[in-house]
Amino acid sequence: MDQKEHILEVRDLQTSFLTSTGEVKAVRGISFDIGKGESVGIVGESGSGKSVTSLSVMQLLAGTGRITGGSVKLNGEELIGKSKKEMRAIRGKQVAMIFQDPMTSLNPLLTVGDQVGEMLWAHDKNITKEDKKKRVIELFNLVRIPEPEKRYNCYPHEFSGGMRQRVMIAMALACKPDLLIADEPTTALDVSIQDQILKLMRSIQQEMGMSIMFITHDLGVVAELCSRVLVMYGGLVMEEASIFDVFENPCHPYTMGLIASIPDINQDKNKLLQPIPGSPPDMVNPPKGCPFAPRCPYACRICLEELPPVMEVAEGHKSRCWLLDKDAPAKDNPFKQRKEATT
Amino acid sequence: MDASNKWERVSMDAADAERIYRKSRTFFGDVWYRFRHKPTSLLGLILVVVLLLFSCVGPFFTPYSYSEQNTKLANIPPVMTVYPGPEEGVYFYVTQALKVIEVDENGNLIRQLKKDKDDAKAKRTSFKYADGVKVYLDYSAQPNVMCDADGNRIEQGITKWNNTYLLGTDQLGRDILTRLMYGTRISLMVAFIAALVNMVIGIFYGGIAGYMGGRVDSVMMRIVDIIATIPLTLYVILIKMCLSDGMLSIIIALSSVYWVDMARVVRGEMLSLKNQEFVLAARTIGSSTRTILTKHLIPNALGPILVTVTMLIPSAIFMEAFMSFIGIGISPPMASLGTMCNDATEALRTNPYQLFLPALVICVIMFAFNFVGDGLRDALDPKLKK
Amino acid sequence: MSDTPVLQVKGLTKHFPAPGKKTVHAVDNVSFSIEKGKTLGLVGESGCGKSTCARTVIRVYDPTAGQILLDGEDISGLSQKELLPYRKKMQMIFQDPYASLNARMTVHDIVAEPLRAHKVCKTKREESEMVNDMLAKVGLNREHANRYAHEFSGGQRQRVGIARALILKPELVICDEPISALDVSIQAQVVNMLRGFQQELGLTYLFIAHDLSMVRYVSDEVGVMYLGTLVEKCEADEIYRHPLHPYTKGLLSSIPIPNPRLAQAKEKSGLEGDLPSPINPPSGCRFHTRCPYATEKCRTVEPPLVDAGNGHMVACHAVNG
Repeated sequence: MDQKEHILEVRDLQTSFLTSTGEVKAVRGISFDIGKGESVGIVGESGSGKSVTSLSVMQLLAGTGRITGGSVKLNGEELIGKSKKEMRAIRGKQVAMIFQDPMTSLNPLLTVGDQVGEMLWAHDKNITKEDKKKRVIELFNLVRIPEPEKRYNCYPHEFSGGMRQRVMIAMALACKPDLLIADEPTTALDVSIQDQILKLMRSIQQEMGMSIMFITHDLGVVAELCSRVLVMYGGLVMEEASIFDVFENPCHPYTMGLIASIPDINQDKNKLLQPIPGSPPDMVNPPKGCPFAPRCPYACRICLEELPPVMEVAEGHKSRCWLLDKDAPAKDNPFKQRKEATT
Repeated sequence: MDASNKWERVSMDAADAERIYRKSRTFFGDVWYRFRHKPTSLLGLILVVVLLLFSCVGPFFTPYSYSEQNTKLANIPPVMTVYPGPEEGVYFYVTQALKVIEVDENGNLIRQLKKDKDDAKAKRTSFKYADGVKVYLDYSAQPNVMCDADGNRIEQGITKWNNTYLLGTDQLGRDILTRLMYGTRISLMVAFIAALVNMVIGIFYGGIAGYMGGRVDSVMMRIVDIIATIPLTLYVILIKMCLSDGMLSIIIALSSVYWVDMARVVRGEMLSLKNQEFVLAARTIGSSTRTILTKHLIPNALGPILVTVTMLIPSAIFMEAFMSFIGIGISPPMASLGTMCNDATEALRTNPYQLFLPALVICVIMFAFNFVGDGLRDALDPKLKK
Repeated sequence: MSDTPVLQVKGLTKHFPAPGKKTVHAVDNVSFSIEKGKTLGLVGESGCGKSTCARTVIRVYDPTAGQILLDGEDISGLSQKELLPYRKKMQMIFQDPYASLNARMTVHDIVAEPLRAHKVCKTKREESEMVNDMLAKVGLNREHANRYAHEFSGGQRQRVGIARALILKPELVICDEPISALDVSIQAQVVNMLRGFQQELGLTYLFIAHDLSMVRYVSDEVGVMYLGTLVEKCEADEIYRHPLHPYTKGLLSSIPIPNPRLAQAKEKSGLEGDLPSPINPPSGCRFHTRCPYATEKCRTVEPPLVDAGNGHMVACHAVNG
C-alpha cells in the first residue's frame, strides 16, 4: 500500500464551527491518505466529524464552518487556500461528491439528462449537444439506469430514491474524477436499494479505477465496499486499519464496541446485546483526554487526562489508545492479552 | 499527574456518561442569544425602546401640550438665523411674517417686539425695543435682515438653536417636539392594539382552519382569499368612513382587515405541525384537542407568529399615518404623525422641517420594527440552529 | 380471557385519497395477532405500509375496513372520545427522536403528558414522583427533568419517548422504527432497554423496523410486508433460516454482512428494481414485477396467505402450488 501513489493526502486537518453555544471543533487534527484506486471507509456516529471531513476536503463548508489548520493535498496539489474559482475547476474533474439525500440534491425543475449534461458542459464548454446527450446516455448505462434514452427527459420527481441516487452517481462520474467522495449515499435508502447501489459502486470502481472515500455510520456497509477503514470519534481518527483488521483484530475499545453492538444474524436471542453505554461527547466541550474515555470500559486515569498519541500496531494499522502503550499494564488489557494468545 | 496511578482503572459512573455539559437554555433563551448577536436587530430593539420612552415618558418633561397654540410664535424653525441687537446678549429673529422676536444668548425666545413705524419707501420697518430704543428691519432685499446701530443692513446673521421650542413650532405655533411625542404615542398605540387584535383573530381563524383541515379549511381560506383580493387599504378606508372619527375607529378599521396575513401564516404552520410526530404522539396518548392546540401547536408556531406581528406593526403605523395624512384619521387637535405631515405640506417650501421631522420619525419607527422583525426571523430560523 | 391475544387485527385495510381521484392502497387486507408478552416484528421497505399499519392500529388514522381487537374488544369503529379509555392500554414509540418530542416542553412535562391526559395523579407531587421514577427507569435523573428535549442526544431523547409511552403501564406498545434514526452504538442500548421492560412489565410489542437483523433479535414472530400486503409471517428464527417467499429471500440477502470476507465475495444484489407505486399496485401477486420466478398465474391471481406448515404463513403461488 505504501508504494502506491496517493490521490489524497490529509495532514492534521482541523475544522470548526461557530454556534450559539460556542466553538464546535468538529475535526480536531486528522491525517490520512487515500491511494490510487483504493476505497477507504470513514465510519463514525453522528457528530464524529466524518461528514465535516469530507466537506473540508471539498471546501464546501457551509455557514460558520472554517478550516483552522492542516493541509489537504489532492494529486499533490494543496487545496486549502484555493479560490472559489480554482476549486470549481477541481470539483467534478478531480474530485466529485455524492450526498446522503438524493431527494434534495437534484434540481426539480430540470430534467435529469440536462442536469448530468450540465456537469459535462461545465468542464468542457465546447461540447456539442449531440455529444452531450451521447455521453449522458453512456453514463446512465454505466449506472444501470434502465431505458436511458427514455429516462433522459424525465424530471427527478418521476424517479424513485434509488434511481435518483444513480443519477447523482452518474453526475459525479461525468468528468471521470480521480476521487469520489460518497457521504452516506445509502443511509436514506432501503436495504434492498442500498444493496443495489453498493454493488453498483463496487463494479464502477473496478471499471474506472478511481478512488472512493465512503462515509457511513454502518460498519456492515463498509465491509461490503472498502479495503481500508478509518474509525472516527469525537473529531479524531481513533483507528485506521485494513477492513480485515478492523473486524478481526480491532485495536480500539470503540471499534470493539461498535462491532459488538451490531446484532449478528446468528445472534443468540436470549443474550443481551452489548451496547456502548452513555452518549457521544458534546463537541462544544470535548473531554480533555481521549474522547471515548467516558464511555470506555477500560478507561484508566491517564485516558481522562491526556489524549493518546497515534500508535502503530502493525504495518498500516494505527490506533489512538493508551492500552497500546508499552507501559500499559497487561491486566484486563484486551490487546496485550490477544498478543500473548497469538505468540 | 502522579505517575504511579496513571494506569489505575477508573470506573465510570452511569450518571456521568449521561451528563449534559451544554448550558441549559430554553428555546427562547437560544433565540435571544442569536437575536442579540446580530447588530441590526439589537439596534432595532434599542430604537423601539427609545421610541417608547420618547412617546410615553417624554410628554412629562415638556412644558407644552400638543394643542397649546401660540400664533405669535408660529413657524419658528429649530435653527434660527439671528441678528445682534443694541445690547450685549440680545438678538433678533425675523419671522416669515416680518415679525421681530427677541432672542437671548442661549436661544430662548423672549418676546415679540412691537411695531413702531413702517417706512415703505426705504422698505424698512422700525420696532420698539425699549423706551426710546428702536431697531430696524430691512426688507428691501431678500433675505429680510435687521439693521445695526448705524442703520446698515447686517448681511451675515448668526445661527442659533431654538431653545424654547427645540424642534420649532408649526404654523399654529404648537411645539413640534411635543406633538411628535404625542403623535408617536398614538401611532404606536394604534399599531400595538391593532397588531394584538390581528394576532388573536389570526391565531384563532388560522388555527381552526389549519387544525380542522379538509373542507372547513377550504371554506375558511376561500373567505380569506376573497377578503385579500380587494386591496386592504380600500377596506380600511371604507370601514373608517362608516365609523365616526377618532382613535377607536381607526383601531377597529385596522384590526378587522389585517388578520388575513396572520391567519394564513398560522394555518400554514398548523398544517405542517399537525403531522409532526410529537402531535401524533399527543393524539395517541389521548390528549384533548385543547391540550394539543395550546401546548403543542401554538407554542411551536409562535416563532413565525411573532415575526408576522413585528412586521404587522410597521404596516399598521404606516396605514394610520396614511389615513391621517389624507385626512380621515385622527381628528385635530390630537397629534398624529400623519396629520403632522399633512399640516406641513402647505408650508413645505418655506418650512420643510415641519414635514421632515414627522417623516423622519415614521422612518425610524419603520426601520426599528423591520430590524426587530428581521432579527427575530433569523433568530428563529431552525436552519441556523445547531 | 387469558388466552385472548392482546391485539388481533383482521383484514385491516387503509386507503388514502390521492390527487386526481386516485387511491393509495397503503394497507390491504392485513391480519395478524399478538399474544400477551410477545413481540411481532413487521419488516419491509419504506412505502410498504408498515408505518401506516401501526398508525391505523393505534387509531391515528381511521381504518378503511377491517377490525382491530384490543383485548378482544373491537376498537376500529370507536370515536376518538370513546377511544380514550383504550388509549391507556396502548402506546406508541416513534421513529424520529427529534420530531417526536415537543421542543417547547421540558422533559418532565413531556413524560407527564399521558398522566395529565388521563387524570391519573391527584397532586403535583404524586405526578412528579411518578415521572421521576419513570425517568430513573430509563436511566435519566431528576436533573434531566427540567431540561428541554433539544439539549439531549438522540439516544437520550428516544429514552424520553420510551418513558412517555410506558408511564401509563400499557399492555400494548407499538414501536414504529424506534431505532432506525439512532447511531449503531445507541441502537443496542434502546433495544436492550425495550427487552428489559418487556420482561419486567409483561409488555406486548408490535415492532416495526426495516433493519432485519434487529427485528429478528427482538421478535418472537416476524411479518414481512410488501406494498401493503403481508407476504410472509412465521416464527422469527424460522423466517431467517428458511425464508419461503422470494421477496423475503431477496430482502435477507440484501442485509450488509458485517464480515468483509463474506461481504465482498457476494456479487449479485438481493433484489432488483424498485418498489412499484401503491397508487396502482400490480395485479395478482404484487411482487411479480420484481420476482425472478414470476409466472402467468402470479400476474393475474392474488396469492392468499396460507399455512405452509408449522404455522409458517406465506403468500406465494410458487410455494403453495
